[in-house]
Amino acid sequence: MSAEALRNNGRVAWAAFVMTLRMQAPDSFTLFTIVVQPLIVAVLAMWMLVERGASNAIYVVVGSGMTGLWSGLLFLGGNSINWERWTGTLELLVGQPTPVAVIVFGKNLAIVVLSLSGMVVCYALAALIFRQPLSVGQPLLFAGSLVLTVVAFVTFGLVIAPIFLLSPAVGNFQNALEFPIYMLCGFLFPIALLPGWTTPMSYVLGPYWAARALHGTATGGADVSEVLLSWGMMLALSMIYLLISGRLVELMLKRARSDATLRME
Amino acid sequence: MNTIEVVHLRREYKARMGVIRRTTKLVVAVDDISFEVKTGELFGMLGPNGAGKTTTVKMLTTLLLPTRGTARVLGYDVAKQADKIRGRIGFIFGGERGLYWRLSGTDNMRYFASLYHVEPEVSRKRIPFLMELVGLGDRAKEKVEGYSRGMMQRLHIARTLLHDPEVLFLDEPTIGLDPVGAREVRQLIRNLQAEKKTILLTTHYMFEADALCQRVAVINKGNIVALDTPQALKAHVADLSVVEVEVFGVPVEVIERVRSQPFVDTVSVENVDQRQSLHIQTPRGSEAVPDLMNLLSGLRIGKVVVREPTLEDAYVRLVGGEA
Repeated sequence: MSAEALRNNGRVAWAAFVMTLRMQAPDSFTLFTIVVQPLIVAVLAMWMLVERGASNAIYVVVGSGMTGLWSGLLFLGGNSINWERWTGTLELLVGQPTPVAVIVFGKNLAIVVLSLSGMVVCYALAALIFRQPLSVGQPLLFAGSLVLTVVAFVTFGLVIAPIFLLSPAVGNFQNALEFPIYMLCGFLFPIALLPGWTTPMSYVLGPYWAARALHGTATGGADVSEVLLSWGMMLALSMIYLLISGRLVELMLKRARSDATLRME
Repeated sequence: MNTIEVVHLRREYKARMGVIRRTTKLVVAVDDISFEVKTGELFGMLGPNGAGKTTTVKMLTTLLLPTRGTARVLGYDVAKQADKIRGRIGFIFGGERGLYWRLSGTDNMRYFASLYHVEPEVSRKRIPFLMELVGLGDRAKEKVEGYSRGMMQRLHIARTLLHDPEVLFLDEPTIGLDPVGAREVRQLIRNLQAEKKTILLTTHYMFEADALCQRVAVINKGNIVALDTPQALKAHVADLSVVEVEVFGVPVEVIERVRSQPFVDTVSVENVDQRQSLHIQTPRGSEAVPDLMNLLSGLRIGKVVVREPTLEDAYVRLVGGEA
């Protein structure tokens, strides 16, 4: 890719990022998905925690926030292409010179960044309402993990968005995909509690490695090598997701141009 | 030199039907069309709903793959070299969709300017200029959800001019506009043509095609039934006159009886509120009026006018009275 193409694509991704923030931030469904829902999860988990006299509230904050990240990605990022089709703008996006995947990247980035606000709200809840001591054990490693978490979620979203358009049947099960990922990725409890046969499924999910890195560095005491393993897996899986999504978007556009499904009449 | 070249283009769809027993039916939207548009020409496509105009435009704008045949825009194949075409063309499809309703008109423009790689310093000047040009200068900062249909249509037009495209595909650009707005858009199209842009325009309005286009293709049931200058198309009906008869509640069998007369060429019916306007093309002109009155006896008849044929009458004759 030439420097000019890189600059143009960067501008387009930024424009899509800004546009999505402006469109989604005031939306009540978005607010519920990325703030209210993780807040409900956090309240319930905090009560359980307080009842048991346990002290790792930061685990709950991170886990609840991650449920918001996933829900936001699933319902908003997953529908980012479909939504353009519903509003009649997909044809315009396909008919312009920038690859559609660049636009979807910018949109998903906005959704993931916006969804991080759920984690902030859960932190405020734990600190102000439940008066729990909250400190991040390894702040620098946590910050690094957070950046890679954004990458892992955005690239994972790039895979699911074209699938929902390619296969409406999968889209019909969108709601059902929410809780299995919470569990398989260990957002709220370690995957060691799940049957052993589910572990390979967790390992191919970027959000699992994100949860592992964030939980480990937030609660403190994580080996640096363990954190680096999670970072490496997030990067490797993100690269794989990018390759898969590139092919899926290509296939999606070819099929949509062939089947005349770019526009919903 | 040709900017658009279409050779035996065909597009089929599979229409799915039924819930339990699902069947598919093959629908031919564009059967077999060939034409070319010269560089700097304003070329019109006329046809009834479902004739294949929009499908043709969608294939030429790289949004649909042809089933058969080839189409080249700016020398590139629309199916295989879409990337080389997209940055150099602009297109609009009539209607309210295709805009971000929660954003202002200016924000929509900014977004599309980025998509088309318009440099920020250029778009900063060009967006207010275009918004003024389409008459939205004072409403530019308002959210699109508050725009009327006509305003949205004008925003579409401004959007398609953002990157100063060489070729424009305008699919019914004046649909939904009030008469003044439509006249302004037509003037805008004339100005664009004066800038030597190649324009393919589809429209339902004959006078629009007559007033704007250098050549017009009349398309019906996926085929081009005539392709010529508006003047030459009008010559198709030069031997005829048109008798317009205003009637109230005319039965279908009476229309068929009129249609079957040897001195009648075509009959089309336009419904206006409670009344119908019969447009009867006949070589006998005013001499046919007494016979027509006999055929319509017993019906309440309003105005009767005999006039020279227009492009619309040529079109009606070409598409067999289906307009």
